[in-house]
Amino acid sequence: MRSWAWGSERIREALVGYAFILVPMGVFLLFFIFPIGYAVYISRYNWGILGKIDFVGWGNYRTLFHDPIFWRAVKNTAMFSVAVVILEVTLGLALAVIVNQTLRFRTFYRAGFYFPSIASSAAITAIAIYILSADGLLNSFLGLFGYDTNRPWFYDSGTALWSLVGLNGWATSGTIMLFYLAALQAIPVEVYEAAAIDGARTWRTFWKVTFPLLRPAHFFVLVVAVIGALQMFDQAFLVAGPEGGPNYSTLTVVLYLYNKAIANAEFGYAAAVGVMLFVGIFAITVIQRLLFGRPEVA
Amino acid sequence: MSRRTIVASLAVLGLALAIAALAGLGTGTGTAAPHAKQLSGTVSLSGWQSSPVEDNLLRQVIKAFQKKYPKIKVSYTALGGDYDATMLAKFAARKPPDVFYVNGHVFPVWVPQGVLASLSPYIKKYHFSTKPFFPRLLSGFKYKGQTYGFPKDWGPLAMFVNTDMLKKAGAKTPTTWATLRSTAQKLKSSNAVPGGTPICLSDDWARVFAFVYQNGYKGGILRSNSIMSSKVKAAANYYVGLWKSGLAKRPQDIGASWNGDGFMKGKCAIAFEGPWLVPPLKDVPSIHYKIAALPKGKTRGNLAFTVSYSIAKDSKHKALAWTLLTYLTGRAGMKKWTSLGLSLPSRKDVKPVSRLSTFTKAAGYSHVWQGGPKFNDVITAANNELSAVAEGKESVNSMLSKIRSAAKSAGQ
Repeated sequence: MRSWAWGSERIREALVGYAFILVPMGVFLLFFIFPIGYAVYISRYNWGILGKIDFVGWGNYRTLFHDPIFWRAVKNTAMFSVAVVILEVTLGLALAVIVNQTLRFRTFYRAGFYFPSIASSAAITAIAIYILSADGLLNSFLGLFGYDTNRPWFYDSGTALWSLVGLNGWATSGTIMLFYLAALQAIPVEVYEAAAIDGARTWRTFWKVTFPLLRPAHFFVLVVAVIGALQMFDQAFLVAGPEGGPNYSTLTVVLYLYNKAIANAEFGYAAAVGVMLFVGIFAITVIQRLLFGRPEVA
Repeated sequence: MSRRTIVASLAVLGLALAIAALAGLGTGTGTAAPHAKQLSGTVSLSGWQSSPVEDNLLRQVIKAFQKKYPKIKVSYTALGGDYDATMLAKFAARKPPDVFYVNGHVFPVWVPQGVLASLSPYIKKYHFSTKPFFPRLLSGFKYKGQTYGFPKDWGPLAMFVNTDMLKKAGAKTPTTWATLRSTAQKLKSSNAVPGGTPICLSDDWARVFAFVYQNGYKGGILRSNSIMSSKVKAAANYYVGLWKSGLAKRPQDIGASWNGDGFMKGKCAIAFEGPWLVPPLKDVPSIHYKIAALPKGKTRGNLAFTVSYSIAKDSKHKALAWTLLTYLTGRAGMKKWTSLGLSLPSRKDVKPVSRLSTFTKAAGYSHVWQGGPKFNDVITAANNELSAVAEGKESVNSMLSKIRSAAKSAGQ
């Protein structure tokens, strides 16, 4: 006898589907959605090490809006993000196009370009600190061309943030390359053949055929790159420590959040910073979606 | 369990409590809980370690403790990585170690949050004498009249001088602000530090403030009501002047990560650092140096960097914790802890190793590097402004007024 309680086949199928995603959904709700909600809750309190101290309403946000150091961190993060996204996407796309050709040692290049993305960020940063120090490799190299300098690139407020851009852009370009490479390989050969028959040259083919066909990849890559850049913490922390010096030049929003939470034990205020960052990232992602449309092809 | 066994167990427990209480009333030995010998159980201990040598030394001290109190087991964990962040998570989970390190400048952040246990009731109950501790260090761990930690050791600054370079320049070890400048001048003109600079001078207020105290300043560290005073201004101008006249450079400008690194690389002849520079210097036998007192301004002044042993308010083994704490900060424990010369004893009745004696002399005029609960905000602002001054992008006056507003909004 068929159990009528299970209803139609469709409902049954849906239930089975939900049963399959139950565990991952539970993990997602518990470790992603709940903490976001809880952070909003905490941000409305003066919250100490052992929990709530008193309710302050939107007080933390009001203080935040008048906090010049926070705005400095926002400015730094914005400048960093714009520059690093341009750098890593350009570099990643260029590398992907290069290693998509039939080259000798193609696998070697692919592995080589991807290597910085899998190497430990701390190790890369430590090496970069040596290379960019006052008496480091970069300055010796520049000296060969008659440009004598002993500028400490990471410790000069004029160059610190841009040095981080260079380091981070290079280190993340491998991942971007991988995304683009996958998308490039999904472009059918026939399209290129048609372009060749029409007499399009390499450069024109790239801009008129390849680039537009990568549209879904552009959307995905930009979203991932922007989110990663806005959450910049580790390399800034390793280079200049929690203070974000010199002259606040390397202070990012997440570094500021860390300072407030760990050094001051002001968890409510830090949560407010986190919520603002979340709202910012969310808004930017929505704008990107409106600009680039839905990712039709995965 | 039958009713009879429950009654019997309760009776035994009651008797045990009564004995414990009676033992507690006994006369104090002045070192630990009088009934400590009867105590048994496990007490947890945590701190950070800056080297394997230090880690090993602490394990030896713990071994000596366990020899004295065989019934107490010490479970020791060195917390790697970000100590403060790890401890905050442990406090929040209500599972902190029983005894742990508290950095002097972090103490004002933690103590008002109610995570540290007051030691005052124990001091009173067991007639524990805090007199041997250097009073300035002990006062760094007091809050609202209660004591929340005993300093485990400390370090002031001193002047590390490269004797070979000084000889080459034909100069003597400077003793005053004026002779510091003239010595640096001689080092510079004789090119005694090729490829380097006479003085390694970091853009760090934890160095500047020693000069501020040398200038006769008497207030607290980075306070809004006194940061603009003439004494602070003059000291800051003197410090910044060393950079401006080319007598000093920041370590990052000569390819060093900190003053001590520059000194060890032979890139400067003079550096102001603490006893922590002594152990790494052992690995650089080519650098011949001496340790001298900081130069004198109008008076002597120095900073004290100290760390306490404290007990968690959520500790479930406070009696054991107190026994361990008083051993570690007691005469025997501290003697062992400071025997390798990795740090200075915070007790007057323990002698430091001879090569650190210059440091100990500063105990009477050193000020604990500490501020209010938002001290970190002020240091962050102060050091960022100082780096702007060092780069020539800001004046000393404008720096001080910005630090004042940062101190004001941090409530100190």
